[in-house]
Amino acid sequence: MTAQSILTAVEIWFWIGLAVGALFLLFGIHRIDEDANGAVAFRPLLIVGIVLIWPLVLWRWLVLAQGRDNWQARHLPPRAVHMIAAVFLAVAVGASIILSMALKQTWPDHIAPQQLSEASEE
Amino acid sequence: MSVKYIPVQWNKNKYLYDAVLIVCVVLFLSIYLYLAPDALAHERPINPAIHNARAFGACAFVMMTFILCIGPLARLDRRFLPLLYNRRHFGVLTALVALTHALTILNWYFVGGPVDKYEALLISNLAYDRVIGFPFESFGIFALLCLGVLAATSHDFWLKFLTPPVWKALHYLIYPAYAAVVAHVMLGAGQDAHEPVFNALVIGGSATVVGLHVIAAFWERGQGDPLAEEAGGWERVCAWAEIEEGRAKIAQLTSGERVAVFRHQSMLSAISNACAHQNGPLGEGRIIACLVTCPWHGFQYDVRTGRSPEPFTEKVPTYDLRIDGADVLVRTEPNPPGTPVDPVPVPDEVTA
Repeated sequence: MTAQSILTAVEIWFWIGLAVGALFLLFGIHRIDEDANGAVAFRPLLIVGIVLIWPLVLWRWLVLAQGRDNWQARHLPPRAVHMIAAVFLAVAVGASIILSMALKQTWPDHIAPQQLSEASEE
Repeated sequence: MSVKYIPVQWNKNKYLYDAVLIVCVVLFLSIYLYLAPDALAHERPINPAIHNARAFGACAFVMMTFILCIGPLARLDRRFLPLLYNRRHFGVLTALVALTHALTILNWYFVGGPVDKYEALLISNLAYDRVIGFPFESFGIFALLCLGVLAATSHDFWLKFLTPPVWKALHYLIYPAYAAVVAHVMLGAGQDAHEPVFNALVIGGSATVVGLHVIAAFWERGQGDPLAEEAGGWERVCAWAEIEEGRAKIAQLTSGERVAVFRHQSMLSAISNACAHQNGPLGEGRIIACLVTCPWHGFQYDVRTGRSPEPFTEKVPTYDLRIDGADVLVRTEPNPPGTPVDPVPVPDEVTA
């Protein structure tokens, strides 16, 4: 994958996100969230988030618009993640520090330079 | 707390929290840039533009380190809970500081060449097959993207729209982001730094984060909420005598949900333990005038109805409750959020 194709993909993602954001903020948000009815000032604050995660926004918009939201799932916090996060951090951070310190190259600034050969005539 | 997404509960504590944050960031940058510019010295001299970039980068790293310490500290000791109160503003400020670092780097190292600066950033180093010399910028880009997602989805709307579990799952990106930042620093500026202050900052900071998370995770495992016993559609939670006035007992039901049984004025009520805002542990809160206050962000609920007081609109599920001898039983299936349930008097009050 070339750098140019990555940047093109980012650009496409951005424009789709902007279009989703415009549609959602103008025509969708007040239909799926009663608190957003008549509340306009906060909507521009959501634009960056929508551009970044627009597939997730589309999914939730669809679920809420179809009345398929499971209210019980809202009250089931994923508490087991704390242990996974702790182990992940220990392994990833530890590996980064150990590898980078073990392989670090230092400039030998305590050794005076020596001329190994005569300077060329040119 | 907000009503129709208009902030209605900005108090002096929130203003103070934000003011302290901004003062600390300004102090850190001032010390790094002007008062002790050689504190985080480098093997080879660097110019002012790179020094600025590194100041903002170091500041973002320290801020992320503090943010990640808050969660486990608050789980280990309730006295740290106030730090959790406005942590999202801390996160947004961190993302802005990290963005300043990235833009300074981008506009110094990657401009003036024959290719676009963003393309130059992606192609300037392609040595993905080695550790020393690895394109550490890629770790920074990933971390910045994560911080951007977290900051951009920090408004309360996102919690309600995505649901707290999905929102929290998204915000667990902070962990890979922090690991990426450590790799970014150690394989980048860390290869150039030779002063003990730099190593102490990075290694000490990240070791503190890792240590606190490991300690809190194991401590939490040992402190797990008791499991309720199933009894024909009802579940035995605890003995009613165990519940202190104004407090709750928490139990995990066979469905996996957690219930909090409160005692208020010698009456018992049961609601979901998960706050509607960020799923904070309501059962660890205290009742004042029928309202339990979430220890995380101060959201309040009437334990008899599961509803926040007017004008707030948050609701949590309630549970039917009954007494069986010395035990408190709740129905396994919760009532829809905000369903009123008549409180049940504790037996000694009935017989008194």
